[in-house]
Amino acid sequence: MAALPGTAEARWLTISMTYAEEDIEKLRPKVSLKVGYELGFFCPDIDDVVQETLTRFLLAVREDKLRNPDAMGAFLNGICRNVILEYRRRSMREAPMPEVIPEPPARGIPDAGLLEMRQAIAHGMEQLASRDRQVLTAFYLEEKTKDEILKSTGMSDENFRVVLCRAKERFRTIYNEQTKHRSTSPH
Amino acid sequence: MSMDLHCDPVFREELIRSYLTRKLSPELTEEFENHYLGCDECFEETQATRLLIRGLGEPVIERQRINDVTVIRFQSNARLMAASLELSELANAVRLQNDTKVLIDLSQVSRIDSTGLGVLMNCYCHAIKNSGVLKLLHPDAPVKRMLSMTKIDSVLETFADEGSAIESFRA
Repeated sequence: MAALPGTAEARWLTISMTYAEEDIEKLRPKVSLKVGYELGFFCPDIDDVVQETLTRFLLAVREDKLRNPDAMGAFLNGICRNVILEYRRRSMREAPMPEVIPEPPARGIPDAGLLEMRQAIAHGMEQLASRDRQVLTAFYLEEKTKDEILKSTGMSDENFRVVLCRAKERFRTIYNEQTKHRSTSPH
Repeated sequence: MSMDLHCDPVFREELIRSYLTRKLSPELTEEFENHYLGCDECFEETQATRLLIRGLGEPVIERQRINDVTVIRFQSNARLMAASLELSELANAVRLQNDTKVLIDLSQVSRIDSTGLGVLMNCYCHAIKNSGVLKLLHPDAPVKRMLSMTKIDSVLETFADEGSAIESFRA
């Protein structure tokens, strides 16, 4: 009997039956964020750590080691943590920390990609009204709470949510377009 | 966590902000990572917030007052080209203010296109309308070439030295 759509059983079937390389590719940006967060986004070995994590994850899934499909994120996170730990140990063994930490190398994104991303961000910023920008700066950079911002600007809760959601929508679109563009552009 | 994250966008944003600025406890960090590794929506929100924070955090223009002259400088390498943030910030910095003596430092400007030149001329017209003056400082070689090719340098006075540029406003 087929599993009901949306149930844990159905998700499990999806994972175990269809986890092909292309599905793993969808996890790549997520794991890259996690690895970059841990090792720093300038780390030159991010791609290697991500690749190792995904390889181990795929093998584990194919060997039925993922028991609970609802905990896929935690499972993947666990594998990623192990790979990062091993990478750190290896790095410590092979090259002790220099006394002076060198300047970070150029970012991983190629120049053209970086420029494009920068332009896309700039375009997104241009579309923000000055007041929206102030509110977002207070929220994201000055790390003020919603209540503090409402009090200082006299905005209503509703308005604040609109500003936040509108800006996020714009930047989510930018992110998706950049991701799509990068995945379709030739290497 | 998933219920709270998906029910309240403001709560989710606060959590993402705290995660990206490393203010979450190790337990919450792990819980949030477990979640976004399995949740496309929250991952996209996190990436969108990263871009937004990056955009908000990029200082573009600095205004400095020297005597009665407003000096406008770009904080980092800038391109005065169509759809560039620097260009719109420059336009705002000049046109939304009523300074009468404006000096634009172009030393950080690596490229300029026709839109950029148009904005410079708009800024100049704005200054003239306010009975003011607008001058340029330190244009890089490629920018200088563009200014010369379009003969804008015959309208917009250009200086290589800040002291003499400031001094020229007194005349």
